[in-house]
Amino acid sequence: MNIQKTTLVPLPAKAPLSDRPHSVQHSRWRAALWSYSRTGRGWPAALGGLVLLALLPTIYDQLFGSSAGFELHRITLIGIFILAALAQNILTGYAAQPSLGNAAFFGMGGYMLAWLTNDLNQPYWIGIVVAMLVSAVLGIIVGTPALRISGAHLAIATLGLVFLTQSLLDLWDTTNGRQSYDLNNLPQFLTDDHALYFTILVVVTIILFALNHLLRSRVGRAWIAIRDSEAAAEAFGVNVTHYKLLAFVVSAILTGLAGALYATWGTTATSTMSSVDQTIAFLTMIVIGGLGSILGSILGAIFVGFLPLLLGQLPSPLMIGPMQIQISTLTIGVYALLLLLALIFFPNGLSSLLERGRTLVAGHVVRRGETQS
Amino acid sequence: MLVFLQVTLAGLVTGSLYGLLALGIVLVYRTTGVLNFAYGAIGAVCACFMYILLTGPHLNFWLACILALLFALVLGIVLERSFARPVLEAPIFTKAIATLALSLVLQTIAQQVWPQLTSPVHFPTPFEGHALHIGAIYLSLIDLTVLAVTALLMVGLNLFLTHTKLGIAMRATADGLSASRLMGVPVGLIFLLAWSLSALVAAIAGILMASEQNIIDVQFMNPILLLAFVAAVLGGLDSLPGALIGGLLVGLADNLLALLLAGHSIGALPISDPGIREMLIFGGFILVLLLRPQGLLGRALLRRV
Repeated sequence: MNIQKTTLVPLPAKAPLSDRPHSVQHSRWRAALWSYSRTGRGWPAALGGLVLLALLPTIYDQLFGSSAGFELHRITLIGIFILAALAQNILTGYAAQPSLGNAAFFGMGGYMLAWLTNDLNQPYWIGIVVAMLVSAVLGIIVGTPALRISGAHLAIATLGLVFLTQSLLDLWDTTNGRQSYDLNNLPQFLTDDHALYFTILVVVTIILFALNHLLRSRVGRAWIAIRDSEAAAEAFGVNVTHYKLLAFVVSAILTGLAGALYATWGTTATSTMSSVDQTIAFLTMIVIGGLGSILGSILGAIFVGFLPLLLGQLPSPLMIGPMQIQISTLTIGVYALLLLLALIFFPNGLSSLLERGRTLVAGHVVRRGETQS
Repeated sequence: MLVFLQVTLAGLVTGSLYGLLALGIVLVYRTTGVLNFAYGAIGAVCACFMYILLTGPHLNFWLACILALLFALVLGIVLERSFARPVLEAPIFTKAIATLALSLVLQTIAQQVWPQLTSPVHFPTPFEGHALHIGAIYLSLIDLTVLAVTALLMVGLNLFLTHTKLGIAMRATADGLSASRLMGVPVGLIFLLAWSLSALVAAIAGILMASEQNIIDVQFMNPILLLAFVAAVLGGLDSLPGALIGGLLVGLADNLLALLLAGHSIGALPISDPGIREMLIFGGFILVLLLRPQGLLGRALLRRV
């Protein structure tokens, strides 16, 4: 992580390429080539993983037979969580905006999809697009004041947004006399576990690919620069206002998409999708996985997605002395406890462990690369 | 007119509760830089403890109250040592996330230990059914208690902070940590004090609120926590009188809006719903933040480079 910071941030400001002294241009080329070769080495692993994931349903069916459907459903959920974790990580880990409000977009995305496909009888893809657009607009609405409000105030304001969205969605439900918003009008193929799995796999792959490039582009560098020092970024000619707002909008769109897909996954949208519990789940993913890291978002989402399964292995009700504990009531508390412990003892997350391991293995290579650039 | 006065009075009472919570929030935020989202949970856990004392061993109300307040002091100390101290150097946002997590942990633990409190139950108090009639205005005994306790606490805290050595040390710590450490202020002790004092205030607010509503469960403080934070920010997050004034403003706005909107609806949308009211207050809050980011009474923010 440190290596990226030092090589990426102090790029000369916006002067056209030809104005720069030759040596600077030259070394920039070398740096770019170097970083490209670094990404290039990840490709075989990524492709291999993809093939494995594509074969996963078949392997599962072979191995476990009847229970495979449920497990596959759970893995699909992890894909959706990855999207949400990426969104939160862009905002918090990259652009360093202390926003707790992503759950609001999550809930909104789900409800928009439900509304369009159920009440307005629109095709599914229009529902998804509108959910993302509405989230984008909401992102602008939230992001614009956020440019003036910072730190503690922003955390409070965005947490308030989550509470508010929840009570408004509740109000929407009660005025229509329903408990939750069921999606009865989904396209046929999405009700099949396997098809849903492949759809989510494709979506997640495309978005991971796009984000990987976005974060290595001018935009990603600008976000990282803002995170490391807003004043310095501004002094280097980064348009802080523009990029902060962009972070809010990109994050909102992604979260909206995740919310819509989550509603599809559960075939229902509930107002608890926009709640403090949900916020905590997102934050747990990125803090345990690792702030400011794509790999971290993935690891965190996998962790949070599998935790209920692990807890499910415990006997329920669990007896501790005179207490009877229903395991299902513990889930969010366990997330929160893990989040707390991670923040206190392990602030760099799971991805930093992998990063450290890789640095140890390729220690001399990395050092040589740093001196070259 | 009479209705208006009555509603204003109710607004002052709920406003005092918001103000009390905002006081504790500001106290911890100023001294230790922790934005304490677990504040509602702390108050609720203390109030729940009191409920257990009242219903389990059938203690006297006042004895239970004192024990609950002692419990709050201890809880504050434990939380400071085990939770706030390790993340002391972390950025504000990290600490905010940590307290958010802490609130869920506290609530989960409380729900497991006292399963009877997961759904709302009756909170017995000696205040029930007693009320004053001043002219045509109705003021229940608990409302009067809320107002009196808030005023007393405010005056007491202010005297403590301005006139005792410990209080002055506390303010010094808030202004400059390293400077006050160099001046020989026992900073660790000050943090401990700030947390246990704020837990005490949370417990008082929680008990008052439970007595006012006569209903308690583990999560009963959650809905008002946001409004307490709104109050604290309106007051500028750095002054105790500001927090109280912010609380009173929010309480008044809440009750007066409820009076104004009652029974009205736009189309099919019942705007008298609490959700809509919350949205209006919140919108006003954002507006204030945009126009005066430092809050109504706060000092201007400086950005250090």
